[in-house]
Amino acid sequence: MRPVITVAATELRRFLRDRSNIFFVFIFPLLLVLVLGSQFGGSGSSGRVSIAGESGPLEQAISAQLTDAGITVDTGGHDEVLDRVSRGRTDVGLFIPAGANAAYGSDEPVRLEVVPGSQSNAIAVQQQVRGAVGALDLDRARVRALVAEGGDRGVDASTARTALAAVDAQVTPPSLRIEDVDEIAQEFSGLGRFDLGASSQLLLFVFLISLAGSTTLIQARRLGIIARALSTPVSTGQVLLGEAAGRWAIAVFQGAYIMIATALLFGVRWGDPFLSGLVLLVFGAVSAGAAMLLGALMDNEAAASGVGIGIGLVLAGLGGGMVPLEIFTDTLRTVAHVTPHAWAYDAFAAIQRHHASLVDILPELGVLAAMALVLLALGTWALRRSVARAM
Amino acid sequence: MTEHATRHTPPEGPPGDGDVLLVTDLSRRFGDLIAVDGVSFRVGRGETYGLLGPNGAGKTTTISMVAGLIEADAGTVTVKGHRMGPARVEPKRHIGLVPQELAIYPELTARENLTFFGRLQGMSGTTLASRVEDVLDVIGLSDRAKDPTKEFSGGMKRRLNIGIGLLHEPELLILDEPTVGVDPQSRNSILESVESLSTAGMAVLYTTHYMEEAERLCDRIGIIDSGLLQAEGTRDELIRLTGDVDHIRLDGSGDTVAAEAALLALPAVEQVDRERHTLHLAVHDAPTAIAEIVTEATSAGMRLNDVQITRPNLESVFLRLTGKALRD
Repeated sequence: MRPVITVAATELRRFLRDRSNIFFVFIFPLLLVLVLGSQFGGSGSSGRVSIAGESGPLEQAISAQLTDAGITVDTGGHDEVLDRVSRGRTDVGLFIPAGANAAYGSDEPVRLEVVPGSQSNAIAVQQQVRGAVGALDLDRARVRALVAEGGDRGVDASTARTALAAVDAQVTPPSLRIEDVDEIAQEFSGLGRFDLGASSQLLLFVFLISLAGSTTLIQARRLGIIARALSTPVSTGQVLLGEAAGRWAIAVFQGAYIMIATALLFGVRWGDPFLSGLVLLVFGAVSAGAAMLLGALMDNEAAASGVGIGIGLVLAGLGGGMVPLEIFTDTLRTVAHVTPHAWAYDAFAAIQRHHASLVDILPELGVLAAMALVLLALGTWALRRSVARAM
Repeated sequence: MTEHATRHTPPEGPPGDGDVLLVTDLSRRFGDLIAVDGVSFRVGRGETYGLLGPNGAGKTTTISMVAGLIEADAGTVTVKGHRMGPARVEPKRHIGLVPQELAIYPELTARENLTFFGRLQGMSGTTLASRVEDVLDVIGLSDRAKDPTKEFSGGMKRRLNIGIGLLHEPELLILDEPTVGVDPQSRNSILESVESLSTAGMAVLYTTHYMEEAERLCDRIGIIDSGLLQAEGTRDELIRLTGDVDHIRLDGSGDTVAAEAALLALPAVEQVDRERHTLHLAVHDAPTAIAEIVTEATSAGMRLNDVQITRPNLESVFLRLTGKALRD
């Protein structure tokens, strides 16, 4: 086992020693997670509302109502809020015109403008805004009614509000729960802003970096290092197993880095760490097998790098490494499952979104393990042939 | 060792006590190409055996079988009494391979490369660390031990390539054209290292297509071409095998006729041709005979102005044996 570990550790060391990997392995994946999360990710709350315009009691009252309903509220300038809506960074823009706060204080009618975004849950959030404003309107109507009814007995607005607050505290007000019945929205509900992008990028980069790393295998063969290793008192199987283990270590390192870094930097929730780690280990083995096969079949490092990146991007695109599988058509989604990415995507989705157990993800793990075995066996066989041919 | 150079015949009998390597009737075919055809030789402790032949002669294929990298179609390789083969581990403990390629990781430092191969040799801990430092010292790379080898010159890489083969102090060092593409200074350094290793008792199998290297380093030389070991023996034995003799040219004045007659009477002199004031002699072992020849010519009344010795070399032996030049 010691020669296997020696070869594998050396492969990992060579990978980490390559300065060009600093950007592609450590920085680029996190940049993509950040960009995708910022552009398309959800907030993890029931919606986002951005308020622009005059600040004051009306704006504060609406904010309080929305926050109580689980909506994330922020403020900004008119153009800024419109920009957020158009870019999908907020679900609804609410615009409070000048003088609205004064009108609200003096019980005069107020006209507010609402601009919903184009995303699927924007309409639901817009309804939440309507509900919040309606609640404020109802509140004012109740105060007016009490003052009108009890004015003769010295009931003023302040007394009426105090009395209403005391009443509200003793009863449970009816709540409005708006549930998006859209299948895709339901699937992604509760996901953090970066959660989806992080798992997709993990699949993309683990496979991509593994395939691109097949060039070091070609180099070791071309330089005669593998042949030289075979002249030492170790078996051919140990050397080849070491090469495979090295590629596996690289794949797992890349995935573990993305997992830990996104959890720490972006608060990505990976679910049960044991299960997520298990999926990474098995998917890493598939990637290692593919890298072994590519490195054994090709003799030119530049060509292998190009082919590896091409295959990595295509498989990731097809398998949920770039676009969520949930928005695929049923047919395309079936086709996607020829890729290991799709099976790993499903496993991560089950762990992250549905708190799946080991039993729940056994089918995905089984398919991935089978793919890994086939690819590792083919890769090792092809490498043995190519090494023999080179000597 | 053989007493005389021989056209290729297999070594007879079981490995002797001094034999580190015994190769018997080794053959290997790649498709229709017979790369190695019934090659046999043996290498003893402290002996440097050279396989001399042009590119494509079968040297590297022979080395690959000796190092257990590829299986022989026929014949056997025995290292320290252990049968060698790709699946056999024990005989590989006794060999150090220095391949023709620079088989080192460019991203790793010299020390990391040595440590990597040391671990594959089964070394560890302080033993490995100590040997790595020793080898770095021997190959003159101690001060560059922490630098990635991709920053090394060609000569430094060659030295490291050899150092890896020495790390575990093997009893048989196999060097496959170790000076290809090396500057003269590094080349001389490599040759000196091989000489000192042989002196220290290491058996060395050395392949080259440089005649000068084979003549300088090798106790015995096997001339290989088209997969066949054409002949083997010491340099002098090989030259005798071809029937070539040394030539001495004496330029001078005086009584060249008397000198011619006197020199012909010497046992080392085979033939004398006179051309005005110059005598051309065909001589056995000119370095030994030259003193007597000069004395005899002078005594006979010839005043010598110039003496030139021309000895047959392995190039001419190779030409005689194969019908083509060594560098063809």
